Amino acid sequence: MNTPRDDQLIADLRALRPAPRPQFAAKLDERAAAGFPRRSRLPRISLAVPRISPRRLLLPAGGLAILAIAITTAVVAFQEDNNGEVHLSMAGASRDPVPAMQQERATGATQASGAAESVEDASAGIELNFSAARLRQRHVERSAQLVLAAEPGDVAEDSRKVFEAVHAHDGIVMRSSTRQGAPGDAGARFELLIPTAKLGDALAALSAIDEVRFRHESTADITAPTANVSELLQDSKARIDSLLGQLEAAESESEREAVESELRQERRHRALLRSELQHLQRRAELSRVTLRIETGAAGESSGSGTWGVDDALGDAGHILTIAAAVTLIGLAVLAPIALIALLAWLTHRAWVRRERRRVLS
Amino acid sequence: MEQTLVAEAKDAPRTADLAFDRLYRSSRDDVYAYVASLLRDAPAAEEVTAAAFERAYRKRNRFDPERGEPRAWLFGIARNAALDELRRRSRQAELAAEPADLESFGSAESAEHSERRLAVSAALERLEPGERELIALKYFAGLANSEIAHVLGISESNAGTKLHRAMTKLREACHEYA
Repeated sequence: MNTPRDDQLIADLRALRPAPRPQFAAKLDERAAAGFPRRSRLPRISLAVPRISPRRLLLPAGGLAILAIAITTAVVAFQEDNNGEVHLSMAGASRDPVPAMQQERATGATQASGAAESVEDASAGIELNFSAARLRQRHVERSAQLVLAAEPGDVAEDSRKVFEAVHAHDGIVMRSSTRQGAPGDAGARFELLIPTAKLGDALAALSAIDEVRFRHESTADITAPTANVSELLQDSKARIDSLLGQLEAAESESEREAVESELRQERRHRALLRSELQHLQRRAELSRVTLRIETGAAGESSGSGTWGVDDALGDAGHILTIAAAVTLIGLAVLAPIALIALLAWLTHRAWVRRERRRVLS
Repeated sequence: MEQTLVAEAKDAPRTADLAFDRLYRSSRDDVYAYVASLLRDAPAAEEVTAAAFERAYRKRNRFDPERGEPRAWLFGIARNAALDELRRRSRQAELAAEPADLESFGSAESAEHSERRLAVSAALERLEPGERELIALKYFAGLANSEIAHVLGISESNAGTKLHRAMTKLREACHEYA
């Protein structure tokens, strides 16, 4: 036999071409006509991991993501509300004092014995008052906002009653302003300091003056800074006592001058601490109350306390901020995972390509 | 009337489906021939051919005509499927070539023809797997050099050169048998 010519060789090669069995070809044609339905060629994989198209997964995955964001948002919002501040709000309340006022006496607020003036008088021996037992007491700063609805003709009379109620509870009117005029224009505004021990009664009395449109009470625990300043004050006193002892024992003029200088410095420090402690104590003993008397419909005045479009926008913005923060945190967690997954995928792909080349070499 | 047209438009097979159907009909036997020459195992070749068409069908909407001919794309998928099968089985080295079916050469053909084709078949076995693949792509599947280049991920001129070398080697092997 001779070496085949090129055309002969090509013809022979084509004759050697493997041909599919007719049965296989027919079956494949059927599958092609049916749009290649999936076969369970790998039953173990099919059973273990059901093949679901990504589009079908999109909806439940999106739902899960929204649910996760909603839960996280709720948790964050709940934590924010409980982080140092407690809000008690009531919009459109009736004239009657709310029973919740009765609870405020049990909140553990520092019991103040007198009005603001008495606070100043007590400052001299203030550091001595903070015994260990007192440090364990909670120091809570309280504040309240009250909006009363009144007829324009009643504004002056209501304002007078406000002054009476404040004085009756040993409070102080820090600032006040009254406007006369048409409904919506007429009104009054008061900034009050009320002894915390009498805040409940005072609010009840103020609420009884006219129709309560809005009331908001909040508390903030200032025990930690109060205790901290008190301890510093005690340390300072001990330091001063020690310096006084050193001064008595000083033998030379220069030694005495050095101790006196240190003593002056420490006394200045002590005065600052005392002032700070007085301020904290005043915050605990005197509650700040903002009272407004409004005329006209509830929606006419801004910040009337009713929940409106502005509030809705504010709430929406707050929720979006939290959602964005949650998403950012989620991305911060997912990004490294995605990067690792990408690297793993690229490595796997390179390895598969190398193996495919190797299998034919 | 409008409703009828809309319904007809909805029922009409999409362009991608029609194109794939054409591709399937024109390539079914070629793909099988190529895969069978790679695997040298008829049942496995059937399985891989079916799997390759199934995979291509699922990806039919992702085919980009700007990146090459549809046949080259299809053979690329078939090649990956076949190589994966070879990897999975790790039988490439161990697989013995299926014996040439003497009866398939046809009784009507002359003895000289039969003898020559047996020699070509034996010579094919002596080629490297990569060389056999080139010949299968060219003469079993009927791909153009540009399509072969696309399937193998090499340049067209490189594909032509390699194919020429493989054919030369095959001819020499045939000569040794002759």
